[in-house]
Amino acid sequence: MGALTDRVTEIGPAVGRLLRTRSTVHLAALLMGSVIALLVVSPLLWLFLRAGAVDLTRAAELVFAPRTFEIGGRSIALVVATTLASVAMGVPLAVLTARTDLPAKRFFTVVIALPLVVPSYIGAFAFVSAFGRHGELTSVVGLELPRIDGFLGAVLVITLYTYPYVFLTTRAALRSMDASLVEAARSLDASPVDAFRRVTFPQIRPAISAGALLVALYALSDFGTPAFMGVSVFTSAIYTEYEAFNVGYAALLSIQLLTLAGVILYIESKTGQAHGETERHHGTPIPLGRWRYPAMAVVGLLGAVTVLLPVGLFTLWVLRGTGGAVPSLAFQPQHAVNSVTFALLAALTASAMALPVAYLGARGTSRIARVLERGTYVGFAVPGIVIGLALVFLGSTTVPWLYRTVPLLVFAYVVRFLPQAVGTTRSAIVQFDNQVAEAARTLNAGPWRTFRQVILPGIAPGVVAGGTLVFLTTMKELPATLMLQPIGRDTLVTIVWAAHESLYYEYAALPALILIVVSGLSMAVLLSQEENGF
Amino acid sequence: MVDETTSPDRTIETAGQSTERTWTRRRVLGTAGAALATGISGCLGSGSDDPFESDSPQGAPIDGEGITWDDLGDLEGELIVYSGRTRDQIDPLFAKLEETYPDFSIASDYASNEAQLNSLTEEGDATPADVFYTQSSGALAALKEAGLARDLPTDVVDAVPESKRDPDGQWTGASGRVRAVQFNTETWTRDELPTDIFAYAEDERFAGELSTRPNSGTFRSFIVAMLELEGEARTREWVRALLEDQDVTLYSSGSQQAEAVANGDVSVGLGNQYYAARIIGNRPDAPLDVTFTQDDPGGLFNVSGTAILEDASKPNLAAEFVRHILAVEGQAFFVETNGEYPVVDGVDYDGPLPSLAELEPPTFDLNALGDLEPAIDLLREEGMTV
Repeated sequence: MGALTDRVTEIGPAVGRLLRTRSTVHLAALLMGSVIALLVVSPLLWLFLRAGAVDLTRAAELVFAPRTFEIGGRSIALVVATTLASVAMGVPLAVLTARTDLPAKRFFTVVIALPLVVPSYIGAFAFVSAFGRHGELTSVVGLELPRIDGFLGAVLVITLYTYPYVFLTTRAALRSMDASLVEAARSLDASPVDAFRRVTFPQIRPAISAGALLVALYALSDFGTPAFMGVSVFTSAIYTEYEAFNVGYAALLSIQLLTLAGVILYIESKTGQAHGETERHHGTPIPLGRWRYPAMAVVGLLGAVTVLLPVGLFTLWVLRGTGGAVPSLAFQPQHAVNSVTFALLAALTASAMALPVAYLGARGTSRIARVLERGTYVGFAVPGIVIGLALVFLGSTTVPWLYRTVPLLVFAYVVRFLPQAVGTTRSAIVQFDNQVAEAARTLNAGPWRTFRQVILPGIAPGVVAGGTLVFLTTMKELPATLMLQPIGRDTLVTIVWAAHESLYYEYAALPALILIVVSGLSMAVLLSQEENGF
Repeated sequence: MVDETTSPDRTIETAGQSTERTWTRRRVLGTAGAALATGISGCLGSGSDDPFESDSPQGAPIDGEGITWDDLGDLEGELIVYSGRTRDQIDPLFAKLEETYPDFSIASDYASNEAQLNSLTEEGDATPADVFYTQSSGALAALKEAGLARDLPTDVVDAVPESKRDPDGQWTGASGRVRAVQFNTETWTRDELPTDIFAYAEDERFAGELSTRPNSGTFRSFIVAMLELEGEARTREWVRALLEDQDVTLYSSGSQQAEAVANGDVSVGLGNQYYAARIIGNRPDAPLDVTFTQDDPGGLFNVSGTAILEDASKPNLAAEFVRHILAVEGQAFFVETNGEYPVVDGVDYDGPLPSLAELEPPTFDLNALGDLEPAIDLLREEGMTV
C-alpha cells in the first residue's frame, strides 16, 4: 500500500506538468491555426463586397431562374458521380501499392498518382482529340472509337485526373496505420474482405473521406472540363457573368456555389470522424500471387490512358516541330525554373501552415475551431478566377508593394490549395497515437523536441502527401497565376495557355511535356522521402 | 492619399454618361477601397518617370498622311501593357519597337480580354498598367464606362475614322476584322451559301449542319450588334430558330469548332475567320473555307485597340506608343502578320480577304459592345450556352 502511495505521489506532479504544458502548446496551436484559417478565408470577404453591390432585381432573376436549378442539379450529379467513381478507383489502388507485394511498387505509385499533374482541361483536350470518328487514336487503331463527350465524358475525365486525391490520402493512411490489427483479425479466421471492412476501413475512413472531399470540391469548381465536353454546370454561369464584365453577379453565383460546398463539407465532417488511435506498425505485405500480373496490367493500362495519351499526343506535336512562327511562345528553361520555384514555395508554405490548422480540426474541441478548419476549404471550392480576382483587388489596394510579386502569388496558391495539405495532415494527426507524445513529454522532452522527434515523424506521410498535392496542383494552376504572376515571369503553364489560346498547339507540346516530366520526377523524389519517413 | 479623396469626383467627370448602375458600383468600390487601402497606393503613380512632358506629339502629329516611325518621337523607358491580344498577334510588333528603340522596353502581361478588364477594374487607381491593349472593342468600351480610360491626344483621335474608335476619344481601334462563316468545301460551294445571316436560321438546308461558339467574346458582340441593329424580337427569333429548327451544335472552343467543320462533323460554322486560317495553315488540303455575310450583323466589323489608363504612370510615353501603332509600320504589321484590316485611312488593305467596301459591314457606335448584359441574358433565357 505504502509503495503504491509513493508511486502515485511521484506520478502526480508529472501528470500535472504534462497537463499544464500540453494545454499551453495546445492553446498556441489553436491560436496559430485560427489566425492562419482567418487569413486564408479573408479573400472571400471580397465576394460579399462585390455581391452586395449588384442590382437586386437582376440578381433575383439570376439566382431563381429555372436554369440555375437545372445547372445546379447537374453540378450536384457531376460531383456525386465523380466522387463515387474516384473512391472506387483510389482506394483499391492505394491498398494495392501500400499493402501488397506488387513488384516495382514505387514506379507504379508514381504512375497511379501521375494523372494529378495533367491539367484536366489538357486531359479533356487529349481525350477529345484521340477518340471519336476523326480521333488520332482512331486512325492509329483503325477501329472507330466512341466519342467521349457530354455528362459521362466529363465524369470520366474528371475522375481519371482527380482520383489520385483519394489514392494519395488513403495510401498515406494505410502506411501509417497499425497493420498488426489486420493480422490479428486474419489469424482469427476473418476473410480478407471482412478484415478490410471491419478493421482497416474504419481506420482509413477519415483519409478516404478527406480525399473524396477534394475530388468533390474540385468537380464542383472545375469549368474547363465540363465546358470542353459541352456540359453546362454551375461554373458555366459564373464564367458567363465574369466574361460579360459582371463581376458582382459572378461573385453572387460563387456564394451560391459556396453553399453547395458547405453542404459537401458538412457531409464530409459526418463521415470523416476519427476512429481510435493506434501505434504504427507495418505488417507483412499481402501476397498477390498470380494476381500480380493482372494488377500490374490494370495499373499500366490506367497510366497509358491517363498519362501516355496526352504525352503521346504532345510528343507527336514536338516531333512535328513548331516551325518557329511565334518566337515569343518558344520554350525557355526559365519557364520551368519559375514553375518549380513557385510550386516548391507554395508546397512548403502550405505544409507548414497546414500543421496548426489540421491540429485545430483534429484536436480542437470547440465548434468554432472545427468551423475555422473547415473554412479553409472554401478556397478550393470556388473557381480559380474568383480567388484570383479577389486577390487582385485586395493585393493592389491593401499591399501594393506585394502586388505582382512572388509572395502574393504564393499566398494565392496557399489560399487555393491549403485544404489539400490540411486534409492529409489532419487524418495523420487523427491517426497518431497521442499517448506516444505524452510519454515523450513525461520523459522531460520539451514541446519542440517532442514535436520534432516524435510527432512529426509519426505524421510525416500525411504531411508529405499534402505537400506533394500542393506542389503538383500549383505546377498546373492557371487562372491565379495569370492574374498575379510578376509581369513577364512566365511559367510552363502560362506558355501552354498562351499557345493554346493563339491556336499554336505545337508550342504547347514541349512545355506541357516538361510539366508532366518535372512533376513526375518531383513526385518520385517526394514519395521516396516518404519511404524514409523523413 | 490625395487620389482617394478625389477619385469619386474624377469618376463623375470622366464617365459623364455612365449609367446609374455603374456609378453605384463605382461608389461602393471606392468606399471599400478607401476603407482597405493603406494609403500607399496614393503615393505611387506620380508619373515622375515619364520621359515626356506632355502627351502632345513628340515628333510629327499622327493625323497627317503616311506618317512613319521616323517622323515620330523616339520611345524610351519601360511601358507596362496589359494585353488581351494573344502573343502571336502583337508580340512581333512589340519586338520590332524594342529593336528600333534600344532604350525602350515593353513589359507585357497576357490574359484574356475579360480577365484583363476585370483585373483593371479591381486594381482601380492602384493599377501598375499604362496601356490596355485588347482583342476587341467591347472591353475598351467597358473600361471607358468604368471611368478608367483617359482622353487620347487630339491628333490620335483625328487619325482614325469615328466608326473605328470611341466617338469621345478615350480609346481607339488599332486593326479591324469581320466575323465569318466557315464551311466544309466537300459539302458546300461558296455560291450555295447565303450572304444574309437570317437565311442560316430559316433555310431548311442548314438543319443539323450549323455550329457556333456561344461563349466567345465575338459571338456575344455579334448578338449585341444584332440587338442594336435588328431589335430584340428578331434576335430572339434568330437564336430560337437556330436552336429549335436547325439543331445547332454548340462548341466551347473556337479551334474545336473549326476542326469539326473541317472534319465534316458539322458543315457550317459561324465563327472567326482566323480559326479556319490556322487550320488551313497546318493542313493546306483541309476542306475548309470561309465566306461572309453582307451588310448585316453576321459580318460584324470589330476592332482590336488600345486605351491609355487614367492612372497610368507614363501617360505621355503611352500616347507616343499609340501613335507608333497607328503609323504606317504598325498598320502594315496588322495586315501582313494578322491578316486584319487597317483602321487608318490612307493605309490600303491588300490581303486575301474581300475588301471592306465589298462586305459593307454595318456601322454603329462600337461602345455598344461594352454592355453585354442584354445579350447574355437573352442567350441564357433561350438556352444557348455552353
